[in-house]
Amino acid sequence: MCLVAFALLSPQEWAALWLSLTVATCAATVALPVGVAVGYALARASFPGKWLAEALVNLPLVLPPVVTGYLLLVLFSSRGPIGSALAEWFGVRIVFSWAGAVLASMVVSFPLLIRAVRLAFQSVDPRLEMAARSLGAGRAATFFSVSLPLARRGLVAGWTLAFARSLGEFGATIMVAGNIEGQTRTIPLALFTMTSRPGGIQQCWRLVAISIVLACAAMAVSEWLERRQTRRESA
Amino acid sequence: MSLLEFDCRHRYPGGFQLEAAFELDCAVTALFGPSGSGKTSTLSIIAGFTAPQHGLVRLGGKTLLDTAGRVHVRPERRHVGMVFQEHLLFPHLDVRGNLRYGQRYRRGRRRSIALARVVEVLEIGDLLGRYPRNLSGGERQRVALGRALLSDPELLLMDEPLAAIDAPLKARILAYLERVAAEWEVPVLFVTHSQAEVRRLADWVVILDSGRIVAGGTPQDALSRPEPLGWKNSMGPVNLLRVEEVESASDHLMGRIAGQRVHLPPQDSPVGAACFVQFGPADVTLSRREIAGLSARNHLKGLIRDVVAFDRAVFVSVDIGQLLWAEVTPEAAAELQLVPGSQVTCLLKAHSLRVLN
Repeated sequence: MCLVAFALLSPQEWAALWLSLTVATCAATVALPVGVAVGYALARASFPGKWLAEALVNLPLVLPPVVTGYLLLVLFSSRGPIGSALAEWFGVRIVFSWAGAVLASMVVSFPLLIRAVRLAFQSVDPRLEMAARSLGAGRAATFFSVSLPLARRGLVAGWTLAFARSLGEFGATIMVAGNIEGQTRTIPLALFTMTSRPGGIQQCWRLVAISIVLACAAMAVSEWLERRQTRRESA
Repeated sequence: MSLLEFDCRHRYPGGFQLEAAFELDCAVTALFGPSGSGKTSTLSIIAGFTAPQHGLVRLGGKTLLDTAGRVHVRPERRHVGMVFQEHLLFPHLDVRGNLRYGQRYRRGRRRSIALARVVEVLEIGDLLGRYPRNLSGGERQRVALGRALLSDPELLLMDEPLAAIDAPLKARILAYLERVAAEWEVPVLFVTHSQAEVRRLADWVVILDSGRIVAGGTPQDALSRPEPLGWKNSMGPVNLLRVEEVESASDHLMGRIAGQRVHLPPQDSPVGAACFVQFGPADVTLSRREIAGLSARNHLKGLIRDVVAFDRAVFVSVDIGQLLWAEVTPEAAAELQLVPGSQVTCLLKAHSLRVLN
């Protein structure tokens, strides 16, 4: 039934699917380097105010997404502190655009990404980093040649989690990016729009089926990547 | 100017305080002491992973650490190779990758130690394509040693390099260590709590207890002082004597310890011209007179150097050309009138000797 759904998609539904995939891919990919930096810092460094940084990073996990969306809207709107600066210097508008949907997904999925990345770095024996330093590798070289490769499985897991969470993002997206067909109307927004119309409940089964397929595929791909790595290392 | 100057004071958050100063010039130096005496902390300061509150560390004339002058050279700039007890090979790299990692950052420095030669001396040629998880303990330790060597260090630090290895392998790794020291003349500072390892490997020993240096000197001297050095956690002193002119006689081996003839037990494996024998102090019988008609084959004459009462036994050190320890009961010590300076014969069964190659 799920595969039948792909064959029967309307142009609008194709657009929603395509948009969902690109938004989620961009959100997870742009967030990854930031997540790696923050996750590594949280795993290794101890600094004053670390608890505050941790709380801030985890906030989107416990806040209602609509509230997160509201705060982003305030910050990034053309009169907000960040939005006005972006508009002035780069002429970029984030809210009610495709970039807004990416931003909302990034922020909401960030705690999940951080969790996976941080756990991955914590499981790397810090003495391996010491060994690398004693062999002459500087901090940065040690990070890229030892810490990062050893944590890569966690990075893949983090990216996949962020991707999957972004696919399902609704509340923050509708606040920041609106519900513009072809621009910000991802699968969840399309589902919402469809079901708000009379008789829409009967039509939305295709998008529901596709959501299920995408979620399962994301899990399967991350599982497959992990197994492939394990096999290579034990060969 | 010494090779290494070390003078540091550091109080750890847990209350332990390290306060030690020493200078090294020897090829192989042991840092010896019971667990928790500050041996590993000392290595960590030299390698640059611990910044002590007060201290000075100089290696080959270069200042690595000087808290008064606010100098703290980063670990990667110290040219100090480190071999850890748990080997710490990089699990995502194969053996070749691990060895190359040591070479990668040496930035065209003076000597160069060739990969091919390291592989040959450590006999790890067959392992190059394997990953650390598929290596045995001894293989890992050899690769870790090779990796540290290839970074072309001015000093090699080893943190209990043999502690995680079982006895039969230890002897082989020791032999590799000796080869490495002879081939590349890299000064080595190693941490151990085994007297046998100190006697076997080191030219010089620094003895630590509770964060302080209690003795320093050649192993023969430093370990034979009457203070119960490290006796606390090993069962008394260990005898490890060097035997020379080893040759086989009909069904057993003969050799000389400081000129006196000894019978050695028969060996399955071939023995070189010189070897070590190990035996416990309790295996030694002391006699004030020369006695004929005994089954014990070895009669070594010497003078008593020290008599130390320790834990309901009396340890007697006898200078037979090398120093050995005998354990007797307090009653026997009194009856035989064992005092420093008296002449004794040490009786040893050939079969109580363990021959180490």
